[in-house]
Amino acid sequence: MMNEIMNDADNTVILKNLHVSDSMGNTLVSSSSITIKMGEIFGLVGESGSGKTLTAKSLINLLPDDLCCSADEMIVAGKNMLEISLREKKAHIGKNAGYIPQNTVFFLHPMIKIKNQIADGFIDHTNKNKKEALEKAEGILRKVGFSNPKSVLNYYPWQLSGGMRQRINIAMALMNDPKLIVADEPTTALDSTVQKQVMELFRSINEELSISILLISHNLGLVKNYSHSLAVMYAGAVVESGTTKSVFENPKHPYTQLLIDIIPTMKIKKTEPLAEIPGYVQEKGRDTKGCLFRDRCPKAMEICENYVKEHEDGGHYFRCNLD
Amino acid sequence: MLRYVLDRVKSSVVVLLVVSIITFAVLMIIPGDPAQLILGTEATTEMVEELHAAMGLDRPLYQQYLGWLNDLLHLDMGTSYVYGESVKSLITGSLPVTLSISVFAMIIAVFFAFLFGMLSAIKKNSIIDYFSRSIMQLGTAIPSFWIGMVFIVYFGLKLKLFPVSGFVPFSDDFGGFIKSITLPSVVLAIGETGTLLRIVRSSMLDSLNQDYMDMAKVKGLGARKIYIKYALRGALIAPLTIIGMQFAKLAGGTVVVETIFSLPGLGRLVLGAVEHRDIVLLQGLVMFITAMVIFITLAVDVLIMFINPRIKSFQRGE
Amino acid sequence: MKKNLSIVIGIILILLILEMWGLSFAYMPYPPNEMNISERFLKPDFDSEHMLGTDNFGRDILSRLMYGSRNVLLVGIGSVTLGTIFGIALGAVAAMLKKAASSVIMRIMDGLMSFPGILLALMIVTVAGKGLKGSIIAIGIFMIPVFARLVYSMILDTENLLYIKAAKSYGTTNRQIFFRHFVPAMLPELVTQYSSSIGSAVMIETSLSFLGLGIQPPYASWGLMLSESRQYFLTYPYLAVAPGIAIIITILGFNLIGDGLNDMLINRRSHDE
Repeated sequence: MMNEIMNDADNTVILKNLHVSDSMGNTLVSSSSITIKMGEIFGLVGESGSGKTLTAKSLINLLPDDLCCSADEMIVAGKNMLEISLREKKAHIGKNAGYIPQNTVFFLHPMIKIKNQIADGFIDHTNKNKKEALEKAEGILRKVGFSNPKSVLNYYPWQLSGGMRQRINIAMALMNDPKLIVADEPTTALDSTVQKQVMELFRSINEELSISILLISHNLGLVKNYSHSLAVMYAGAVVESGTTKSVFENPKHPYTQLLIDIIPTMKIKKTEPLAEIPGYVQEKGRDTKGCLFRDRCPKAMEICENYVKEHEDGGHYFRCNLD
Repeated sequence: MLRYVLDRVKSSVVVLLVVSIITFAVLMIIPGDPAQLILGTEATTEMVEELHAAMGLDRPLYQQYLGWLNDLLHLDMGTSYVYGESVKSLITGSLPVTLSISVFAMIIAVFFAFLFGMLSAIKKNSIIDYFSRSIMQLGTAIPSFWIGMVFIVYFGLKLKLFPVSGFVPFSDDFGGFIKSITLPSVVLAIGETGTLLRIVRSSMLDSLNQDYMDMAKVKGLGARKIYIKYALRGALIAPLTIIGMQFAKLAGGTVVVETIFSLPGLGRLVLGAVEHRDIVLLQGLVMFITAMVIFITLAVDVLIMFINPRIKSFQRGE
Repeated sequence: MKKNLSIVIGIILILLILEMWGLSFAYMPYPPNEMNISERFLKPDFDSEHMLGTDNFGRDILSRLMYGSRNVLLVGIGSVTLGTIFGIALGAVAAMLKKAASSVIMRIMDGLMSFPGILLALMIVTVAGKGLKGSIIAIGIFMIPVFARLVYSMILDTENLLYIKAAKSYGTTNRQIFFRHFVPAMLPELVTQYSSSIGSAVMIETSLSFLGLGIQPPYASWGLMLSESRQYFLTYPYLAVAPGIAIIITILGFNLIGDGLNDMLINRRSHDE
């Protein structure tokens, strides 16, 4: 077993059996486990509503107040999040994790200049003053591709383009030299050339600074290109995970297989409609003991109603009654 | 930016003109002859006609309006027949009273509205939230004259902490000044706190739900930074606009409160003019007050534009 | 039900007032204006003949309170209804007419709205005269611009919706479109605004009668009762308790209903999206 062989210190995130439910008791995420190794890009893939954002948010203590989560184990950047107080959790996350949200105008405070929001976390967590913080910020802004960091610092967020704002977000996440960056659909709202620039930036951050990146995306093609490992989520549960190579070469779960089949390729003919998986992701009954995918699964069997088998082989995990 | 200011100034001028037409028109259809009213019932027809001519009442209506408007622009608002004084000097005499209680009332209202509005948004559905929402409802439902009477009796007459009537000018005696405006200001503030609290709470809730709050939380910032620097800053625009409007409204005369506390402010002048049907005084007062209100609102809007640089990119629609 | 506590409380409060109002036509303990100098300033005592006591003329406070509810509701509901009708008419005309006419109407509404507080009402009372009729007219005119603006903006918002365009392309007349499409679409917002407006109308009515510009003595009105109790208040504070509470209950009731309806509207809108 991979996890047991490797030392815990080599993993940035260990999450076992995460369970998230809302105030009405509905299960949103059930028995999901992921392990992110130090210095890797980890892709978390799924349709919208599959629970990938909730899973990521529970790692960085960002779940909405009306949701509650439990897990058997949750280690983030070397600390067991289940054992420390809320206060310690906030400080630990603030110092060791960065968050890069979907690109919207409002992730940066619209009424505060960049220079007044980029460095707050840094100032709070180190004993540095604002001047030192801004010097550091300039360096990082230059690293993320701004040739004129001094003037960028004096802008308001709405004076920048979407791609620039996203790079500011990345710079902000880098301020504390974090061990983990959670990037939630970081390129969705950007046009494709900018998308590529931002993704290359992630790759170079990962390679140069060996920061682990949790990359959440519904775009399997993107994850295939950029991540070292990945997990596929369906209806609130991780259905398959492993190294990118083994999952793509040997997809085990019927859902993963379907997803890989429908990645649009350049070879597609003009007249051919894009492939899709019939049906919808279910909202209710996520706490079932059976398989969540059975209603849409081409290979569903009777047993899938009440039972689902978990397989783990050399780090390649999947849950399906097929072998 | 400049274009926005010019647009706002232009529309303010238009509104002011409309207001002047309404004021002039409404008070022209008043039953009874102003000249007759001034001269009394014994006056002869010749005397009345003479006064008509002197007051310009024999001219066509539009000429009368233009003449009146022209005088207004030269700050000549005529003479009150009840007080026998020029309207301008009456206004300058009472303005300080009204301004003092308005400013003081707004300071109190802003303090409590922000304190409880923020707390109730941050701790939504907690005891403090229910408490704040009760203040919000009661503040707008309790008539100022009722609470004023209660205050006069308990704080004024029973405990003798504050004078129950009259105004001590600022320059005469500072302590006396503060004492004389405390009760009226508190009474005014109660009503305004309710309204303002509602706005602070709702825009604070709105701001707390914005994406930038997620970023602030992930950074692990302290509560003070999260709530004051991020949440409050994002929630300021609506309350500031309302504060401007509320202050303008108060500065325009607080008829009821000035009556209860016998304060010689603008509101008392208005009431006197209404009771005695002193048209010249009433027209002058209405125009002065409304112009002041429109001006304050304009100033607040422009001020907000400087605080909120985003307004440039948003075209403010109707 | 839990979600809409404000509507429930509001309705209970208004039912209390309505009950008093309804009862006043069937039974009042005493004629509200009957003076009895030998029974002046009787303290409230629930076992006595004057449950809420008597005033400086020996008039029964409960009876005056009941009678006063007629004036308060008549002025409150009457003026807002007046304002609603004229407001809807002006707003609809402005929205459907061509540019010049619509901008004249809406600028007049802007003008009416920029008179601060009760200044406009005071000015109109000067012209229309003190008393019941004057109060209704003054507060009614005060209410017009709110409704006109609401209707105007709602029509402009809905006008571009497809089904209106479709109806127009069939040759439906403006009047038919207004009654068949706009009125049903606007009804929820109008009802909400109507309820909150009654709250403010009652506040203005009581203020006017407190200032002596509303209902005239010897008739009873809550504001007037408070104003009359002013000089005896120190010795007989109970004089101001009953009318004060009645005013607060009425305003609070209508405001709560308005707030509750508004919450429902917001919820509905967010479900629509």
